[in-house]
Amino acid sequence: MLPSYFEFYNPVKIVSGHKALDNLPYELSQMGVTRPLIVTDKGVVAAGLIQVVQEAFGSSGMTIGAIYDDVPPDSSVDVVNAIAEVYRANGCDGLVAVGGGSPIDTAKGVNIVVSHDKGELKDYMGADRLTGPLKPLVVVPTTAGTGSEVTLVAVIADIKRNVKMAFMSRHLLPNLALIDPRMTLTMPAKITAATGMDALSHAMEAYTCLQKNPLSDAHATAAITLISRYLPLAVEDGKNATARLALANASCMAGAAFSNSMVGMVHALGHATGAVCHIPHGVAMGIFLPHGLAYNLPERAEIIGELLLPLGGAEIYAATPPQSRPERLLESLNKLQKALEIKAGLPMRLKDAGAREDQLGEIALKAINDGALMMNPKEMDMEDAKAVLKKAF
Amino acid sequence: MEKVYQPLRPGRKWFKELVAHVVFFVLGRAFQSAAKLDAGIRREVAEWEEGFTLAMCILPKGPSMLLKKVDGRIRYAGWAKEDADLIIRFKNIESAFLVLTPQMGSARAFAENRLSLVGDVARSMSFVRCLDRLLAYLYPAFICRPLVKRMPPVLRPVRRRLYIYTLGIPFGL
Repeated sequence: MLPSYFEFYNPVKIVSGHKALDNLPYELSQMGVTRPLIVTDKGVVAAGLIQVVQEAFGSSGMTIGAIYDDVPPDSSVDVVNAIAEVYRANGCDGLVAVGGGSPIDTAKGVNIVVSHDKGELKDYMGADRLTGPLKPLVVVPTTAGTGSEVTLVAVIADIKRNVKMAFMSRHLLPNLALIDPRMTLTMPAKITAATGMDALSHAMEAYTCLQKNPLSDAHATAAITLISRYLPLAVEDGKNATARLALANASCMAGAAFSNSMVGMVHALGHATGAVCHIPHGVAMGIFLPHGLAYNLPERAEIIGELLLPLGGAEIYAATPPQSRPERLLESLNKLQKALEIKAGLPMRLKDAGAREDQLGEIALKAINDGALMMNPKEMDMEDAKAVLKKAF
Repeated sequence: MEKVYQPLRPGRKWFKELVAHVVFFVLGRAFQSAAKLDAGIRREVAEWEEGFTLAMCILPKGPSMLLKKVDGRIRYAGWAKEDADLIIRFKNIESAFLVLTPQMGSARAFAENRLSLVGDVARSMSFVRCLDRLLAYLYPAFICRPLVKRMPPVLRPVRRRLYIYTLGIPFGL
């Protein structure tokens, strides 16, 4: 399906492969950075990953401005302001985020603060509030799911006002994404499975939602092919560097796809479930993905059927008549989910993930106000959302 | 004779600007009126904070409209002269013309990046739901259907359409 009009923007340089991290000082110097501030969290430090980053600076002649390693799982305005102080006190001139979604979003928030002389973080909340380029930002992902290394979004909590602030701007896109399989080797099987399903949901929603276009489709289908082949391998053997690199690449491509074609109801429900029940995002994505595809089936049957090729493979696709492909796709997805449930303990139902039935109404209300819903092919109102949630429960 | 190269000043698209002015006025007044009649729009607006402002404008300095919540009700406040809490910006007059005439729905306009949003995205979702309901009052089903993902279930559309066109838009009732 060719859209009559589309836009695609991904200016992030991607450096991906074995020992890619060793290029970090060179790439920073190319951006004019001499004293980078590294933003990370305790989990990354405990896994020994920050050591790998530090070693990459060996013999480079570059000074690390500071390493801030106290980013909490849900970053807040106070954390962002504290890091901005560290940045200024140490005369830093660029940022390197090392971690999963939280350190990356935090670094994006810090970048807003240190790049503007005036105002507070909340002044820049919402879409398109940033009007000029920010300081150089490099992202080194340590999970293979969020795709934050190529997205233009950051979410930071304002604990005092009890709201999650979303920032969307092309200026939030990092300058460089460094993908090195060493950074994801230590991820436990359950997190590998959940982040893999997150990446899969990015790719599948990018392919099926209203803003799909030929370039996002290319990224999305390539990502699905890699996830289908390598996610079970990475869950089974976490030390498989090839599988880790494949998943990190898939996550990055899925990120580029959904950053340009957006996501839909699966993410709207997932964001809401995360906010109400604190279920990890990847787990929620794994649960909602088949329900979202099934809900959108009446509007998108042919497009959903096309996904059988990257997910199920050429032989299954060719052997399945076109009208049966959407059903077969859902079967293949279900098979993948069951394998991940058995091998990694990834929940398939909301109740198994810790949600309560009395929370479904609140989730539905939050979901219908989520911006992701705009690009969903089929309308979802409060009652529809409740019905989908009930099925997923 | 040597060819002279000099700056050009492209003309204005007066007709399309005029249409946009008129449609913004109609839309603003109709929204004010429908917010009174329709329970669905009332419920959405009740969630907006008092004093909330919403602007629709055409970049860079084209026609615009401002909606403001005053005393719990939404009011059409004319041109958007001030900054607003939520701003929906058409990137050019041609895109605005497509949406305002109405040849293109809001979801497709967003999908084609013809609009840019400044402000809280959650609030814009609420506004779009209101806009869909408003379209169901403003236009007969055969015009409205291609503009929305699903026809909003509105009550007494013909009677209310008559009210909006005869009293709401001309007199702001």
